[in-house]
Amino acid sequence: MADALVIKNLNKRFGGLHAVQDVSFTVRENETLALIGPNGAGKTTAFNLITGFYRPDTGSVSAFGREIVGLRPHDVCAFGLARTFQVAKPFGGMTVLANVMTGAFLRDRRPDAAREKAREAIDFVGLSARENAAARDLTSIDQRRLEMARALATQPRLLLLDEVMAGLNPAEIDQAVALVGKLSSRGLTIVIVEHLMRAIMAVAKHIIVLDHGQKIAEGSPKDVVENPEVIRAYLGSGYVHAPAGGTS
Amino acid sequence: MPNVGGWRFVVLGVVIAVMLVLPLVVKSSFAVDILIRVLLFSFIGSAWNLMGGYAKQLSLGHAAFFGLGAYTSTLLQIDFGISPWIGMVAGGFVALLASLPIGWLCFRLRGPYFTIATIATAQVLMLIFLKFRDFAWGAEGTTIPNLGHAPLMMQFETKAPYYYIVLGLLTIALLITARIERSRIGYYCVAIGEDEDAAEAIGVDAPSVKRQIYMISAFLTALAGTFYTQYIYFIDPQTAFNFNISIEAALVSIVGGVGTLWGPVIGTVLLETTSALLQSWLGNSIGGVQLTVYAVILMAVILWRPTGIMGYLAEVYARRRSKSLSLPAKA
Amino acid sequence: MLEILAQAVINGLLIGGIYALVSIGVTLIFGVVKIVNFAQGEFVMIGMYISFFLATQFGIDPIVSLAVSMPVLFVIGVLIQHFLIRRVLGLNDLPQIFLTFALSLLIVNLSLMLFTANYRTVHTWYSDEAFRVGGLYIPVAKLVAFVLAMILSGALWIFLHTTDLGKAMRAASQNRDVAQLMGINPNRVFAVALGIALALAGAAGSLLMPFYPAYPLVGQVFVLMAFVAVVLGTLGNVIGALIASLLMGVAESLGIQFIGADSGLIVVFMLLLITLALRPSGLAGGRRR
Ligand SMILES: Nc1ncnc2c1ncn2[C@@H]1O[C@H](COP(=O)(O)OP(=O)(O)OP(=O)(O)O)[C@@H](O)[C@H]1O
Ligand SMILES: [Mg+2]
Repeated sequence: MADALVIKNLNKRFGGLHAVQDVSFTVRENETLALIGPNGAGKTTAFNLITGFYRPDTGSVSAFGREIVGLRPHDVCAFGLARTFQVAKPFGGMTVLANVMTGAFLRDRRPDAAREKAREAIDFVGLSARENAAARDLTSIDQRRLEMARALATQPRLLLLDEVMAGLNPAEIDQAVALVGKLSSRGLTIVIVEHLMRAIMAVAKHIIVLDHGQKIAEGSPKDVVENPEVIRAYLGSGYVHAPAGGTS
Repeated sequence: MPNVGGWRFVVLGVVIAVMLVLPLVVKSSFAVDILIRVLLFSFIGSAWNLMGGYAKQLSLGHAAFFGLGAYTSTLLQIDFGISPWIGMVAGGFVALLASLPIGWLCFRLRGPYFTIATIATAQVLMLIFLKFRDFAWGAEGTTIPNLGHAPLMMQFETKAPYYYIVLGLLTIALLITARIERSRIGYYCVAIGEDEDAAEAIGVDAPSVKRQIYMISAFLTALAGTFYTQYIYFIDPQTAFNFNISIEAALVSIVGGVGTLWGPVIGTVLLETTSALLQSWLGNSIGGVQLTVYAVILMAVILWRPTGIMGYLAEVYARRRSKSLSLPAKA
Repeated sequence: MLEILAQAVINGLLIGGIYALVSIGVTLIFGVVKIVNFAQGEFVMIGMYISFFLATQFGIDPIVSLAVSMPVLFVIGVLIQHFLIRRVLGLNDLPQIFLTFALSLLIVNLSLMLFTANYRTVHTWYSDEAFRVGGLYIPVAKLVAFVLAMILSGALWIFLHTTDLGKAMRAASQNRDVAQLMGINPNRVFAVALGIALALAGAAGSLLMPFYPAYPLVGQVFVLMAFVAVVLGTLGNVIGALIASLLMGVAESLGIQFIGADSGLIVVFMLLLITLALRPSGLAGGRRR
């Protein structure tokens, strides 16, 4: 399998805070990789660096063989990397359909074609019933579904999901896990940030652990859960969903 | 029962017919003058609405383009004898080009500071035209030589032709708006207005889209400048770059409903009718009455109906539809 | 030549002190409440008319009438926060921008109706007095205005750095969440911020009255200056606004001296546009996260 995303020695400082420190990792094509770590570890910042929202101080990001540092976010997306935001950013005044059509327009500027693609994506995430609702009227869970549909409508090769399962109940988590599995089986490469170990175990075979901006562990879920440094990082931060805790 | 789309065409047909015969029926030149003002500001408002309403880039500097349009056609006419019909289009392109550096500057700012920067650019342009007298008559301005009945020079002895010209301009603006609303750039504009980061994340080149919509908006606004100068046979920096033009462009859209096709038209009808009534009631003696009333209406809309009149109507319509939800969507 | 230059700089600094009172108000409101107050200049105008009427009706010196204009405008500020601004907080840009813009439009045009567009002046015994230092000419009225403006700015700085309420305001302007963690009632902080900002504008009005005419549109000059100063001095920063205002005053005065009487504003706007052009994108007013 080829490499979808190769990140080398990525660094980002905010003033005195070294938010991402010399992080390197590789995502293989069609793999689902989980990026975990306690609050403030730098996961969202890493996403922002990969997708062009922030410019790394140093380091390189190459996607499907091409260096993408310096590209602006819309170019990154056009190149095939779509992301969701941790705090969903729906276009509140637009309908669900219009939101997703806006994403679909990236690949086809004809409204009818975009509408069709949008409907597919909406159906995929299970939002069809709310197609004509204003995005601002959706529940926060549906807003996150909408984010996914909108990202999918841009027909990415690599999808970066930032805590799309936060706040879901167990049944909804099962649905979301199934959704991610379905995406993966369609050939998509996925990087997922999530706190819930149960969900992570279900979707990812490969995990990267960040703490205070540094990569402290990498490997299979089993390796990571047993890694003493990981346990220390989670316990030290008083984190509720300690990975060793397993199911919660 | 005819469906909604069908009704819409009937209503539209009636409106068009009424608009076309109106100057034949209305003989008072005061009344035609008001009609022309309504159409003119509906047009300017529609031009503003493309950028301010759909893309939510709240400019208060559209007088810059109005003035550039007015000055371009007037300079071409007086210095080179070129017809304002051509000058009007030339003015449009001058404004379109001017929107590039202005946009380059102002789009660096977001929110209220974008608005302030647009005010500043329009003011600088006005000051430049005030200052450099050998270039464009300075502060005194100039009158447009009256050629009597000269349709090719956009001059007429009655008001009706002016009415039809501005009606034509408004029609063009509405057609453009309707088309943009349904196309990719329209969706992109609204998306940018809602959340620029989210739009970028799904592949919208926000700076480029803003630049494009600003160019269209500037072009159209400049046409109004030429028309207005021809209509009043006079130009000076204070009228051509008047801050009130920028204000009213935004105002009619906000009151009528930003980001809607008919919002600027409805807003203008409401504001201009109120102002005409006030004028006939109080006379012109007291300064500030008109803008005081505008300010009160604007404040009321912002506090109670931020989506404007069109937004309110849409809400009412949606509520009524949801009551009769059992009916199939299409009859 | 050098003397002309020095004189122009002094003139600029003196009027810059007044600009500072207005700019600091704009900055304070922006910092704490996150609203740009387009009507700030109109409160300068109200301050001027208050002093004008007290002077013509009761013979009260405009400087003394500061004691009236400041509290009156403080109360107006609190009321505006409570009845108007509070209702658009957390909404999008459009209502936030156009609410204070409508307020500005309303106040200007109401004043036009009530007071007409005529210029009103107050002549005090010191209106025409001036010190001469070397070849330089320093008008008493402007010097008094400048000194009082600096004292008021200093007092505000001390307030912001020593009192609990002031610290709360600074915290709020740095981070809304921090302020809430500290258990501060934001509505009260906002109301006081509005009150102080308007009181400063009122003070500017009273201080201007001995040497500057009052008319309904007078505020626009000051608010435009303030906006430019605030953008120059980095938003939400009191010291930055103060320094930038003084610079603006000097720039304007140099423009008037060396380019022509009506070119002060051109210089100022040019300064704004040049700053915008040179600044990294989206610095001022940018809200990228
Ligand atoms: N734009 C910014 N400016 C300054 N500091 C920032 C910025 N963005 C993030 N940070 C800081 O960088 C650190 C990493 O933040 P980041 O959002 O990447 O964490 P995270 O791993 O996503 O955490 P969480 O699980 O809470 O989402 C935090 O300390 C955060 O406060
Ligand atoms: Mg995060």
